[in-house]
Amino acid sequence: MVTIDLKGLSTREANEGIREAAARGEAIEVLNPDARHHIGVGVVHAVDIHVRGSAGYFCAGLTDTPRFHVERNAGWGLADNMYRGSVVVGGNAGAIAGVAIRGAEVVIRGNMGSRAGQVMKKGTLLCCGNANFMAGYMMYGGRMIILGESGERLGEDMTGGEIFLGGDLVSLGSDAMETDTAEDEIDDVRAFLDRYDIPFRGSFRKIVNAGKKLRYGTPERQVRSIPYFHFSGDSDYWNHKVQEDVYIKSQIGRYRVRGYGGARELPHLADLAFARDIDPGAVGDDPVSRVAMHTLIGGKNGARPLDLTMPVLIAPMSYGALSRSAKQAVAIASGMAGIAENTGEGGMSDAQRDAAGQLIFQMLGGRLGWNIHDMNRADGLEIYISQGAKPGFGGQLMAKKVTKELAEIRGIPAGIDLRSPSRHPDILGADDLVIKVEELREATGYRLPVSVKLGAGRIHDDIKIAVKDGFDFVELDGMQGSTGAGGAEVMEYVGIPTISAICEAERALESIGRRQDIEIVLMGGLRDGVDAVKALCLGADAVALGTAAIIAGGCIACMQCHVGQCVTGIATQDPEHEKRYKPEIEAQHIYTFLESVRWQIAAITRGLGYDDVQGPCRDDLVALTPEAAEITGLPLCPERRNAGHPEIDAAMERALR
Amino acid sequence: MCGIAGILLKNEGSGIDTGPALIDMLDGCQHRGPDSTGFALYEGGEEGQLKLRFHVGSDNEAGDAIAALKTVFDEHGARVIEEERIAGSYRVVVRFSGDLQKFSYAVEHAAKVVSIGESLEIVKDVGGAHEVDDTYDVHLFRGSHGLGHVRLATESDVKPEASHPFWATGFADVAIVHNGQITNYWKMRRRLERRGFAFATDNDSELIAVYLADKMNQGIALKDSLASSIDDMDGTFSFLVSTRDEIGYAKDRLAAKPMIMFENDDLIAIASEEVSLNRLFPGRALDTREPPPGSYRTWSRSI
Repeated sequence: MVTIDLKGLSTREANEGIREAAARGEAIEVLNPDARHHIGVGVVHAVDIHVRGSAGYFCAGLTDTPRFHVERNAGWGLADNMYRGSVVVGGNAGAIAGVAIRGAEVVIRGNMGSRAGQVMKKGTLLCCGNANFMAGYMMYGGRMIILGESGERLGEDMTGGEIFLGGDLVSLGSDAMETDTAEDEIDDVRAFLDRYDIPFRGSFRKIVNAGKKLRYGTPERQVRSIPYFHFSGDSDYWNHKVQEDVYIKSQIGRYRVRGYGGARELPHLADLAFARDIDPGAVGDDPVSRVAMHTLIGGKNGARPLDLTMPVLIAPMSYGALSRSAKQAVAIASGMAGIAENTGEGGMSDAQRDAAGQLIFQMLGGRLGWNIHDMNRADGLEIYISQGAKPGFGGQLMAKKVTKELAEIRGIPAGIDLRSPSRHPDILGADDLVIKVEELREATGYRLPVSVKLGAGRIHDDIKIAVKDGFDFVELDGMQGSTGAGGAEVMEYVGIPTISAICEAERALESIGRRQDIEIVLMGGLRDGVDAVKALCLGADAVALGTAAIIAGGCIACMQCHVGQCVTGIATQDPEHEKRYKPEIEAQHIYTFLESVRWQIAAITRGLGYDDVQGPCRDDLVALTPEAAEITGLPLCPERRNAGHPEIDAAMERALR
Repeated sequence: MCGIAGILLKNEGSGIDTGPALIDMLDGCQHRGPDSTGFALYEGGEEGQLKLRFHVGSDNEAGDAIAALKTVFDEHGARVIEEERIAGSYRVVVRFSGDLQKFSYAVEHAAKVVSIGESLEIVKDVGGAHEVDDTYDVHLFRGSHGLGHVRLATESDVKPEASHPFWATGFADVAIVHNGQITNYWKMRRRLERRGFAFATDNDSELIAVYLADKMNQGIALKDSLASSIDDMDGTFSFLVSTRDEIGYAKDRLAAKPMIMFENDDLIAIASEEVSLNRLFPGRALDTREPPPGSYRTWSRSI
């Protein structure tokens, strides 16, 4: 048995020791834990770990197969996301015990705090004492056993799974109901109790999902799509789009869900122009070879940074919203271009991991597809707080796309209209967030950059929290960002424009003197290298492209991504539709597009008189509209509106010929 | 966004002192709030004597503020017994027997009040628990009870006056530390303002303090004031309140903010996280309890 004494050790040192011992297959005892956070996170070996005392937040979190024994109490988030293995807690556990477990057995001999088992998917969570407020909140699967009192609102908004209650039922949550028990189920529960030497002879009642909220009441009738160019045209007030909207709402009685981003005119990068003409002599025939474009992102706090051949990343897009083939194509292209790809919500596939050179793994509130093994093979970890297309809302994946295979990866029932939680179970404020960031770092040995995805709303406050909570970089998303499915009104009216987002973020960080402590990757409707350079001028360290990459790979912008029958095979999970998509061919297209972005960034940088992509700055921009001038604080120069860049266009043409 | 801590000693000779204990507890949860740290400490107190603490800034600014304060003292018949400048703050003890609310509103116009009380003294500044202790010698405080707070500024600035604990403007000896957000802040504040109360900040924690102090001023016990606060306030909150003779807690019905407590024959200690409680008893597993959602409780001092 290896002894790790926390007295005199940092948690990081202790966890390194624990993981090393576990890798050797040795049992471990942890002395003087004193309720410190993150004890034993990231262990992926089947060893016994004895915590001699009380543990703090996220004990045994992000693990697979170990067996933890905590002598006394455990803090919030016990066994967070634990796959296999077990945790036995001798005393009480704090709130959200068993959050997002994927098969583990969690046994709490005392009481447990609020929202236990939130978004759990598989495994058993046993509480021998009393449960608390909203036990089983949003659980997707697995089994909860409570021997004492249920607490208020048991099973609130649970989607799947079963709760066996031995004590008194205080009250049931929304969409939960009591149902009959089968003998073999109860035998199984008793066998589980016997296995952990828990004497209980009382009877059980069983709580399950009542099924009233799993699907929208009336599915949206499919209609002929309106081409985007018409859809967003400079139309009359009661145009076809408005009419269609009213017709559909008159049938379904709720907001509509659709794909793509907002279609309203908003202040954007196109409302900015370069302050002076591009010098064609400076651009030359091969600007790429004459401009330093190599960019490192995410190394601010000692992690291994993303190593990019240009200041460009692929924006987060999920396998789920997109087909496996489309994700694969994007990943291949990103690898060919030497930039980073991002999993988005819903997990990492082998094909994507193999194809992408560098891959950021995203964690969302539902923890769908999130696990320690994929964390360990990622190049960066990202906590999603919100996205530009629908800030404050969770992802939406309509039933058609929630296939058996996809549901399996995400750990949810197949065939539901999946509305991912809009908030994280264990992040209720900046104070909890800092502990969560630390958990991810501890679990992966501080190797990986940890970023935050922020859809811009109150970015002035949010970005300050991001830097104070120690993120390495922020992926900042303006309201021109797109999505696979979202409420139409939300996409049009919630959030702030991309140029407002970057300018507010810059000002906020300057105001507390912390700009140098975090990097910003700007996204949200960026279309090409010209937009990219403007974003860099405004202060971004890099940019991310999502929709542009998808269009490069064959998307026709019909805006029906949510339906699941994408004619190009991009936004679908239907094998018949997906067959139309040829990942190798589309990867080549996306790669070629990314190279055009590279060329434009280099050409403009040279044309503005710099030989480094980090050279261009605010002095190189002017605003074309009063609105854009007000937002950015740049000088208003409407006379530059028609100052095109024919030299760039001509040179581009030569280069592509 | 923050961490909170509170302690009440039940008897002398437990080997634990209020000042050092609060420093340890706050250092243990400094990760929850690295921007600023504060303490509300209760020690001694004589009838007819008030301890006042102000933020006065530095140099000329401080001189002007102190001169303005002395004018107010004269106008209200407050006689200075002792005075001291510590960093950007000014501590003064006065003999005073007039209308405290009028007096405190008047001094508020002359300088930024940190605390007023016969027994209460609030010490708060930017930086961590040990930094604030280095400046203000918090470890020298004994006394029967106290509160502490670490803050991560989200919406307001990182300034000493925006840090916690908050004093209940206009009422002696009431202090609060709070983790969370009161969402019906303006509604509640307007209600209190209509009844003549003034607020020194836009911080929701000050509102809780004034709300409770007002109730107690009407003769309602602290315990019952806490009960009604849970009904009247919307949002997510865990807070600790202290008066000259009691400490108490209240927790919202959504249980979104952490709080954990430990009690034995010597003391009651409450904190955001168990790791803070364990700082008082290193190497020992404690028999702690998490208060249920929507609950409240008070303890009276016995020493």
